Amino acid sequence: MTKLLELQGVSKTYGKNTVALSEINFSVNEGEFVSVIGPSGAGKSTLLRCINRMIDSTSGEINFDGQAVQKLNKKALRQFRTKIGMIFQHYNLVDRLTVFENVLHGRLGYKSTLAGAFGFYTDEEKRQALELLSILGLESQVYKRCDQLSGGQKQRVGIARALVQKPKLLLCDEPIASLDPNASKVIMDYLQTICKSMGITVMVNLHQVDVALKYSDRVIGISKGEVVYQGDPRFMKEEEIHHIYGSEAGELIFNLSEESHYVG
Amino acid sequence: MKDLSTKDIIKPLKTEKKIKVKPFSKAGLVIRLTLIALAGLTIYGFITFDYKNITFFEALAGSLTNFRVMFTEAHFNHFTFSEALYQVLITLCLALLTTIIGAIISLFLGLFAAQNLSSPLLSNSIKNVIAIIRAVPTVLWVLIFAVSAGLGSVAAVIGMTFHSVGYLVKAYSEAFEELDHGVIEALQAGGANWWQIVWQAVIPSTLTYLVSWTFLRFEINFAAAIAMGAAAGAGGIGFDLFMASNFYLDLREAGVITFFILAVAILLEIIAVRLKKYLKTAQ
Repeated sequence: MTKLLELQGVSKTYGKNTVALSEINFSVNEGEFVSVIGPSGAGKSTLLRCINRMIDSTSGEINFDGQAVQKLNKKALRQFRTKIGMIFQHYNLVDRLTVFENVLHGRLGYKSTLAGAFGFYTDEEKRQALELLSILGLESQVYKRCDQLSGGQKQRVGIARALVQKPKLLLCDEPIASLDPNASKVIMDYLQTICKSMGITVMVNLHQVDVALKYSDRVIGISKGEVVYQGDPRFMKEEEIHHIYGSEAGELIFNLSEESHYVG
Repeated sequence: MKDLSTKDIIKPLKTEKKIKVKPFSKAGLVIRLTLIALAGLTIYGFITFDYKNITFFEALAGSLTNFRVMFTEAHFNHFTFSEALYQVLITLCLALLTTIIGAIISLFLGLFAAQNLSSPLLSNSIKNVIAIIRAVPTVLWVLIFAVSAGLGSVAAVIGMTFHSVGYLVKAYSEAFEELDHGVIEALQAGGANWWQIVWQAVIPSTLTYLVSWTFLRFEINFAAAIAMGAAAGAGGIGFDLFMASNFYLDLREAGVITFFILAVAILLEIIAVRLKKYLKTAQ
């Protein structure tokens, strides 16, 4: 398998003393489903945003698809970002616009300033957007305004917006943290399908240990800005999870035996 | 048992102090003292007025008579209904022109003044300049520009536009700043650039605010345009009102002009409400 993303000694400090990330090393293969777990404030979101340079890392090297991410200039950065889709906990859609318009926003990175600003999209782009919406089961909501959708539907619009970019990597920042269990499952299943059948690499920040264990090929555990665990979820031990969260046995809600049963 | 009422069960607590809802605060005390001082000054002012032998009731009766003449016997003397309509139109055009020019300039300045869309230096410098412009009243701006442009419509347009920009930049930039940062972040992450984000996310999200602030400014500009007609010779119904009241001393004509202005103001209000309702529900 080829490496799609590689981080070497990536650190991020705010001001002089606040360390958000320190010496992060890992790589992600093409087509892999990777979960990042860890307590709140451990640096999961910062890590994700360093990859597509929404946040500039302080030191270290990030390589994505053969490009040195930190060295990109403004124009190259824009082009680079089209290769990485991102979805968010709060969906971050423009509520007053329609589902269709929001999905087409994913194409802005490919367009000239003028065409993008006035929303001139080609028929090909529109067709792609409609196709993705039907894959995600939103064909009847195409012309609805986004503030009329449920949370699960909004997140699916967010996924469609990311996929219409034709990304190689999908970054998901707590995609199910605001959703009910039903919608959470739907979204996670879609992410799995995207990874397995479309061959898009998926990297997810998660709070739910169960979900991370069930869906991912690999789990990365982060605590206080450092990678403290990396490995296959099937062989993950309870102590290792407690090590990530700094908790004692019996303090966390998850069921290891049952989950490994699912996976196996 | 039967005679037992709630009174017997819940005995009044006599010995306890009043329970305060709010804790004592210095700010609250200062506000209270200020209000008491203002009330005292008002009473003192009324007592020590120089009334010049005019009795209060006589003056009140006189004023009411004038109002009665103005509003119940309103009719035209020096111009016709259609002429008045034309003059109102001129005033409306003055208001519309200054609002549109002001809104266009303010839209761009507002974008650069919004903290979340601009650099802190640019944003703060625009905001400070705008605050100074806003602190000077519209009439004063018109009179300042009258120095170079001469009294008349040109000075009125420039001066009113100036103050409109001061007002709208603040309103617009605050509307832009209300926008959820996540939306901007999401589009940035997809590779969109600044202008694309502005036109595709910022403006659609804040459109209702922009329209309602602009319309509010239009109403203010309408009132200002009437005053400018009188004070700066900018023409329109304001100038006729000035002539009727100060030159011809014709209360009846002043009354009919007031009715005209009132009708237009009510009409504007109705349009504003409808427009906002439409924008809120529109697709």
